[in-house]
Amino acid sequence: MFNPLESAPPLWHNGPVPGAFYNFPGTQRIPAANPITHTQSPVTTSTSIIAITYDKGVLIAGDLVASYGSLARYRNCPRVIEVNPNIILGAGGDYADFQYVKSFIEQKIIDEDCLDDGLKMKPKSLYCWLTRIMYQRRSKLDPFWNNLVVGGLQDGVPFLGTIDKLGTAYTDKVICTGYGAHIALPILRDALDKKTNLNLNDAKALIKRCMEVLFYRDARSFPKYQLGIIDKDDGVKIEGPLTVEENWNIAYMT
Amino acid sequence: MMMQTEMNAYYPDYSTAPIQRQINPYADNGGSVVAIAGNDFVVVGADTRLSSGFSIYTRNQNKLFPMSDTTVLGCAGCWCDTLTLTRILKSRMQMYQQEHNKQMSTTACAQMLSTMLYYKRFFPYYISNILVGLDNEGKGCVYSYDPIGHCEKATYRAGGSAGALLQPLLDNQIGQKNLVKPSSEDLSQEKALAILKDVFIAAAERDIYTGDSVLINIITKDGTKVETFELRKD
Amino acid sequence: MFLTRSEYDRGVNTFSPEGRLFQVEYAIEAIKLGSTAIGICTSEGVVLAVEKRITSPLMEPTTIEKIVEVDKHIGCAVSGLMADSRTMIDRARIECQNHWFVYNENISIESCAQGVSNLAIQFGDSDDDGAAMSRPFGVAILFAGIDEKGPQLYHMDPSGTFVQFDAKAIGSGSEGAQQSLQEVYHRSMTLEEATTAALTILKQVMEEKLNSANVEVMTMTPKDFFHMFTKDQVEESLKGMEKIEPEHQRSSLESGYKKSPSIM
Repeated sequence: MFNPLESAPPLWHNGPVPGAFYNFPGTQRIPAANPITHTQSPVTTSTSIIAITYDKGVLIAGDLVASYGSLARYRNCPRVIEVNPNIILGAGGDYADFQYVKSFIEQKIIDEDCLDDGLKMKPKSLYCWLTRIMYQRRSKLDPFWNNLVVGGLQDGVPFLGTIDKLGTAYTDKVICTGYGAHIALPILRDALDKKTNLNLNDAKALIKRCMEVLFYRDARSFPKYQLGIIDKDDGVKIEGPLTVEENWNIAYMT
Repeated sequence: MMMQTEMNAYYPDYSTAPIQRQINPYADNGGSVVAIAGNDFVVVGADTRLSSGFSIYTRNQNKLFPMSDTTVLGCAGCWCDTLTLTRILKSRMQMYQQEHNKQMSTTACAQMLSTMLYYKRFFPYYISNILVGLDNEGKGCVYSYDPIGHCEKATYRAGGSAGALLQPLLDNQIGQKNLVKPSSEDLSQEKALAILKDVFIAAAERDIYTGDSVLINIITKDGTKVETFELRKD
Repeated sequence: MFLTRSEYDRGVNTFSPEGRLFQVEYAIEAIKLGSTAIGICTSEGVVLAVEKRITSPLMEPTTIEKIVEVDKHIGCAVSGLMADSRTMIDRARIECQNHWFVYNENISIESCAQGVSNLAIQFGDSDDDGAAMSRPFGVAILFAGIDEKGPQLYHMDPSGTFVQFDAKAIGSGSEGAQQSLQEVYHRSMTLEEATTAALTILKQVMEEKLNSANVEVMTMTPKDFFHMFTKDQVEESLKGMEKIEPEHQRSSLESGYKKSPSIM
């Protein structure tokens, strides 16, 4: 027997071992154990999504950076999108997975438009469909590494739901993913406890405040963000890039 | 002669060995379910907290799923599995109704759930299921399951994150276990409901995955009544 | 009957211009060559009685099995191609066991018949798993059973059509026997009366003289479920029948009933 941690045995007695003179490109010799272990993890990642319902619609906000670990690699990556006049969608996690998911959501919308029956998908349907997709992929142990937030108007009633990479799905009046679940969610829940029926301006002010706090506290965040609005009267609008008002004066201890 | 698999360690591209990925397909989303059956009723309650670790996803998540007029399923554990299982169950209930021209009985549903769980023996639904309902004689019954389909019929059961905490309490309060003077009276609906609420209060004190509120279904021959009951929210 | 017989009577997948599937109709004809089987459903239970054609004295009569147990609560009488019937009975048994396995309850008679019907109409289907069946099954089945609706009798023909009956006859003597059944059947019949009536009618339509070796009798009751008569029990029933026999024979002759022509 031989030690798997050493190189392959020589090609002939006292001869060279494979790779002794030349390494073929693309081959890497892993002195690993037998089953190939391959950790699937996100690569280009985006951070929190925060979302809130108000009396006439839903707001979803997310910043524009996509990071490579701690490197803020891409600084203009939109991740709050309009799906159709009924639905907006926000996504956190692996940006490539999001782009892939986005591509087939768009294809589905095109397929539905082609039917030309005047019907538009409603948020609950998209939410359920995405839950099935996320669950299917996790069942293959090859998940889409995203947190998806679906917002929209279900027959005029604000709808807000989220799905994670396992297919865990739930609806609520406020939803925050990633770091936001720890930092922004308590702020939003507190505000909602104090005033249950928010209007658009209340909601916008809250989102603005949360994006600010998140920028100060979340090291993977970015001061430029998008705000998706779906409103019963004004329809869908994706605002941005908006800028977080920074104030670092306190840092100078003046 | 070197074994094929041993050679492949050096040439991973040519390996036919199984690919192993490292993600955990399961999540523990907490939640507790308690069911108590009487002679002509059954009550089942589930807390409405959906959580993961120290995060509370939502404080208002229903975990009781009506299967038929006389049957309700309570689920706690991995929420994505719960969503999937309950959807499949719902369609199986409908298919049965259409194939056999009758509503599925609680006993039939209990057996079906057991087989459905066992069919996923090697990639189980990570759920603590408690199925309650009225049997063919109108008597309340409770079936509890492990994730791979072991089924046990009982008259009362606690399951989910506070299951181990509450079962001995129910043994004492409902089962009249370890009492000097056990009562021989039949359990009334009011008593069952009161105990159900009490044990949830107890669970919310000690289990961080149980709290916010309880959703209760009371099933009698007249139908299902829904009640809510607030718990501590921290 | 088949004046328009043409090339449309070959394929099982082809309708004739009149909208008929000849192969299926021929299969229905085929069961008219089979031995007669009679089923009567009463409020006390169901009785099935079949004739066994002993074509040779060297034949071992007990090896002809035309009434079979499908589950405790369902029994079947078959007529037609016996080999085909085995396949269908197999399916019926699987349906019963599968239902019990998944739902822990007895399958209803109707659902069992539905399961077998699904098999019966599979002729002509072909897919990736295999080629089509070359022809319909040449079998008619009587399902006798007890479920939550009480005693029930279903009849199924080779087209897969199944219908509930109070009393039904299949096989070569079926036309005459059905006529007689209509005359003798009434809702308040006891199971014993039904057994006697079934044997009496069977005797009328059979070529051979009825005895305990060439008839099979089964009762399905809420208490005992599937019960196949022993030789002694059959003989006892035959004795009971002879007591009231003359009257019956007269009535059936008066109704203009003629013994069905033997085809086999």
